[in-house]
Amino acid sequence: MSKKNFIVGIDVGGTFTDLLCLNINSQELLSEKVPSIPGRQWEGVLSALEKLGIDYGEIHAFVHGTTIATNALLERKGAKTGLVTTEGFRDTLEIGRTRRLIGGLFDIKFVRPKPLVTRDLRIEVEERVAADGEILKSADDIDFTPIIELFRKKNVQAIAIAFINAFRNDANENAALEKLQSLAGDIPVCASTGVVAEKGEFERFSTCVLNAYLTPVISGYLETLARELGEQGISAPVNVMGSNGGVMTLEQAAKFAAGTFLSGPVGGAGGAVRICEMAGVDDCITFDMGGTSTDVSLIHQLTPRISHSNQLDAYPLQVPQLDIHTIGAGGGSIAWVQTDGTLEVGPQSAGAMPGPACYQRGGTEPTISDANLMLGRLPTDRTLAGGLQLSIELSEKSFEDLSLRLGEDTGSLIQLADGVLRIAVSKMAGAVREVSVHRGFDPRDFALLGFGGAGPMHVFLVAEELSIPQVIVPRFPGHLSALGQLLADLRRDFVTAWGGPLDRLDVAEFKVKADVLREEAASLLSSDGFGEDRHEHAFTVDMRYVGQSFTLSIPCDPDTTTWDNLRESFHSRHEQTFGRADRHSDVELVNIRLFSLGLIEKPELSFAVDEGGDPIIENRQVWFGDDWVDCPIMDRTKMGAGEIFHGPMIIEEAGGTSVVPPRWTVTVHGSGSLDCRRQYDD
Amino acid sequence: MKDLVQLELIRESLIAVVNEMRANIIHSSYAPIIYEGHDFSCALMSADGRQVAQGLADHPIHIFAVPYSTQQVVATFKDDINEGDLFLHNDPYTGGTHLNDILMLQPVFFAGKLGMFAAMRCHWNDVGGMTPGSLSGRVNEIIQEGIRIEPTKICDRGVLNEPFMGLLFNNMRARSERLGDFNAMLGTGRKAEEHLQRLYNRFGEELLGGIEQLIERSERQLRTKISERPDGDYFAEGYIESDGTNPDPLVVKLKLTVQNDEIIADFTGTSAQTNGPTNCGPAMALNAVGTIVKSFLDPKTPINQGSFNPITVISEEGTFINAHNDAPCGGMAECKFLIDSVVASAMGKVAPEMTVGDLKGGANHVIISGSGADGRNYIHYEWPAGGTGASDGIDGSNAVRSFNEGDFNSIQSVETVEGQFPLRVERCEVREGMCGDGEFRGGFGLRRDVRILSGRGALSVISEKNVIPPYGVEGGSNGAANSFTVIRDGEVVQPSDVPGKVSGFTLAPGDIVREETAGGGGYGDPLERDPAMVLADVEECYLSNSDAFARFGVVISDGQLDVSATESRRQAMADKRVVVNLELANNEMMDGPRRQLSIPNDVAKKLGVSEGGLVELVTGRGAPLRAWATISADGEAVGVSSTSLDILNAAPGDRVRIRATVSRPETAA
Repeated sequence: MSKKNFIVGIDVGGTFTDLLCLNINSQELLSEKVPSIPGRQWEGVLSALEKLGIDYGEIHAFVHGTTIATNALLERKGAKTGLVTTEGFRDTLEIGRTRRLIGGLFDIKFVRPKPLVTRDLRIEVEERVAADGEILKSADDIDFTPIIELFRKKNVQAIAIAFINAFRNDANENAALEKLQSLAGDIPVCASTGVVAEKGEFERFSTCVLNAYLTPVISGYLETLARELGEQGISAPVNVMGSNGGVMTLEQAAKFAAGTFLSGPVGGAGGAVRICEMAGVDDCITFDMGGTSTDVSLIHQLTPRISHSNQLDAYPLQVPQLDIHTIGAGGGSIAWVQTDGTLEVGPQSAGAMPGPACYQRGGTEPTISDANLMLGRLPTDRTLAGGLQLSIELSEKSFEDLSLRLGEDTGSLIQLADGVLRIAVSKMAGAVREVSVHRGFDPRDFALLGFGGAGPMHVFLVAEELSIPQVIVPRFPGHLSALGQLLADLRRDFVTAWGGPLDRLDVAEFKVKADVLREEAASLLSSDGFGEDRHEHAFTVDMRYVGQSFTLSIPCDPDTTTWDNLRESFHSRHEQTFGRADRHSDVELVNIRLFSLGLIEKPELSFAVDEGGDPIIENRQVWFGDDWVDCPIMDRTKMGAGEIFHGPMIIEEAGGTSVVPPRWTVTVHGSGSLDCRRQYDD
Repeated sequence: MKDLVQLELIRESLIAVVNEMRANIIHSSYAPIIYEGHDFSCALMSADGRQVAQGLADHPIHIFAVPYSTQQVVATFKDDINEGDLFLHNDPYTGGTHLNDILMLQPVFFAGKLGMFAAMRCHWNDVGGMTPGSLSGRVNEIIQEGIRIEPTKICDRGVLNEPFMGLLFNNMRARSERLGDFNAMLGTGRKAEEHLQRLYNRFGEELLGGIEQLIERSERQLRTKISERPDGDYFAEGYIESDGTNPDPLVVKLKLTVQNDEIIADFTGTSAQTNGPTNCGPAMALNAVGTIVKSFLDPKTPINQGSFNPITVISEEGTFINAHNDAPCGGMAECKFLIDSVVASAMGKVAPEMTVGDLKGGANHVIISGSGADGRNYIHYEWPAGGTGASDGIDGSNAVRSFNEGDFNSIQSVETVEGQFPLRVERCEVREGMCGDGEFRGGFGLRRDVRILSGRGALSVISEKNVIPPYGVEGGSNGAANSFTVIRDGEVVQPSDVPGKVSGFTLAPGDIVREETAGGGGYGDPLERDPAMVLADVEECYLSNSDAFARFGVVISDGQLDVSATESRRQAMADKRVVVNLELANNEMMDGPRRQLSIPNDVAKKLGVSEGGLVELVTGRGAPLRAWATISADGEAVGVSSTSLDILNAAPGDRVRIRATVSRPETAA
């Protein structure tokens, strides 16, 4: 038996498949990037694996970040799904709370997106639970045979069960689940409370249906991947990144497809936590910019923030996800002219094909990348990683066309390119404000961490837009997502809807409820192969003032907490978030949440470059502010730990180019990250 | 070039400020109608009260009236507007909506000079008056609807006028909730001020110059769009069914003139204001015309004051759409949405490719109040959405907020309602079969049954289009009317003798309040609808087999289309339609507000219409002309007045279809 030395992170994006392989013994990192193959993602994985050239027998495990769930939903390629629901509520999915949820103001031709289950496959049964959990009509005597017959006749591939008030009492849902499972054979069945046990029928039904709709897609994909790997003689387990930032086993993911929507972007947040730890930073905002979009998230005290109410397209999704905000602004975003003659950037993107005009693949629209090239931020005389040679002539041509379409005095093309870039930066700054200011945090208290293919090139401009004084650029910025996957622990989330005004609740009952959750978690983690010494549990409770709707999540330890502590923690959190606390109002508890980790062994990582040397490759004219500046181009691999540099400069490395404007001071941190600071006048 | 970039940066930044104001209000407010219902809006105004920016979720009905209010504040306080001041306003007669919508204006100073106003308008659940919730279908004067606040400075250079606020809160129910909402607005205003001053520090005077440019660009864009349309006068009218105190309808009359790059909306001839709640102040007509003109001609350009500048509204003071003291205005949404409907009818003639089936009418306010087993009083308020109208190539959507409304919830979660109140929602479903038929059909409304579990309750409703349903266009049929009834021991009980206007109807335990909302109007001839689309609706149980047969002429047997039977069925239905000649009558033919048609006896018989029945003349272009039948013994032609011909855009001698207007689509056996 060969020793299992390697963990392989697989990050399948819309454009590239990125593999990062960690040798556990030597701490050595290997990486490979190949084009993604739409619809046959595993082929990209296999070809990248082959290129890595490692001994397949030495692979210990894979961790996979995939956009397969998101893509299947956007393309409406999920399973044909049937819904079994409470009498009177077959249309809950369709009506929701009557919101359009996606645009539509002033749009006479607005068409509401269709529910994921057609109406003929939404079947009502005579069951009912009251708001207090009392069973008004039992599901025990319902004959589900005709329903299964209908579903079979209509080729249903997945079944969702969602009953009113099941979050209070799930007996009827469970009875239906048991019966339908026994009748359904191979067709997967899930019940709403098994996916999310929270109040709000539209959100819970929608989440359950999304889960059912995507389950066959995810499990089919993962099984194919495992089989293809098996054919190459690879028996290592394939784990999947979950939207909550933890790893799921293949078995878990196949049951909980709704937990994989952020499988792609969460790796970046996990990697960022590790980079921050190593760089001695507690609070950061991640800025992960790729070709078509930018993902931002907030990490407070080394913990990524979680959001429980999410929405995909027009469908609510109520599972815990990292609070990652995505906007359609990336390197390929296109600049265009609005109806009133003003200039706009994105969200349309030139994508990988044809790509920006400068890629010479037939693209003619001006993009962010074209602007960067014209402004001297990218090299015109050398090929990029991946063998791409950029054409500045084509970029200039695309901006000339844009200038003609604008039809006004457009100044120089350089000013136009600079303007396009500034508009994009303003949008990205808006995304940072969304995850910080809108959540009650001041972005100036955070470091901005730039990664992804285009992150280091724009992160300084975004920081300046928001007066953020610190920027971190990790080593291997293009691989941080895959690195995050390698370092992720297994994570399971639990919630129980229990609560009421604090003065009417019994703290002993709270502890009992918490213990039940913890026991369930411990037994699942053990069955996942984690000994008790590798379990970690953390409780939070959702709280609010009586009469409020929005809840705040308050960490607590059920073994020691008292209602007074909890009340005070809530008041101060409220004050921090909304600028005031209301100490005379009653406080209530709404949900108890537990997240549990199965801790993996963390490798020691070190990215520092011991020896410096002369990092300057060349000097180039680069546009900063409103003029050309003579700017050194640096080789990051020759910037030694502890060395200090001053902007402006451009720092190149495989998979990323950092554009450092004037007034920034860059220190190479011992952990290998660039720790960059500047002061602002106001 | 720098300007264009700067302009975009300024626009982005201003919208970001509005969005942050929204987030702040949602997160810190206490009343479910705000944090769950999202019945509030935010906007930014220039120093002279012109609209600068709003968000995409903000409700036009709230926002488009804010310039009017702001201009009142500016006119009232002139030079006496200082840093640290704060203004409150809800008076409909000077630009407010209804009394529940409280507007707070925070002046923002740049370098010591008044630069902008941040505006927040929130629906407060109660502002005093005679019934809990302040809205009632049976009021006689505005004083019964709560406290009326003319432009008032409530904070003078940072010092809050505590006695005034005390007076206000002492006259509203649920004082602590009101105080919570007031504080949420106060905090939001401060945040907005902070953000705007940051923008000024960054952009300097160019911020204000940029705002002027953005307004000018929106105006120029709309003017271009208007000038692409033919000059001319376009006529339309519509009815408020009843003001709740009197069975007579109120009429809105419109002559819409397109003249070069301007639109003039002349509402002369509209009914006088009434004692009931269906009145609104002067801001609503421009609000409605602005909403609809923009939706028809220029939906994509960012909205600001420039989008209103090409529009002139003429409405006489003292009419119910330009009411003065002391007309109640609780039903202002009913009036505003009626004007929307009338303007849409006229605009359908200006821009036929955008013609769209009519909507549910007013807001459909439903208030169920009572006391539960624990003796605590409760108020459950919802305003259920209907189906949307069909347009060329597009079926309407089911039970959803429509294009002229902000995107907020109109019904609450069943599990929340049942958890909070002694109520059980027994069904909330698509109202099958109740669409407006057409080549493209309107959306379906919803049916919601709410059972009273314990204690006595009371039901109040303000709703329109319970009798006169949403119209179809281009020959399409009307959607089903709204309907609000009570089911008691299995029997349907009418909670009021005036449909849609209910005031405090007593509910007993076990009663079910049944809310049924209107279907959207159809587009085009139902006999032209692709039979495969009819079959698809039948397969999904939106329509029954007999609906398909009786209304669309589609024959389905054993789940399959019968093509030849469908053809002959459709031919037979076309043959049975009643087509008449139009004849010019020599008088205006109005019975008070009601337009009349003189219909020969045998035509009336064929239509099954009796004296005073509601009929419509259908040219197949735009919306139909609706009128009440007067039956004449002889003759073959239908007598119409010259204004009727104007509305129909028809001439004497034209042959047009006539049909009865029914409040529910009928499926004959």
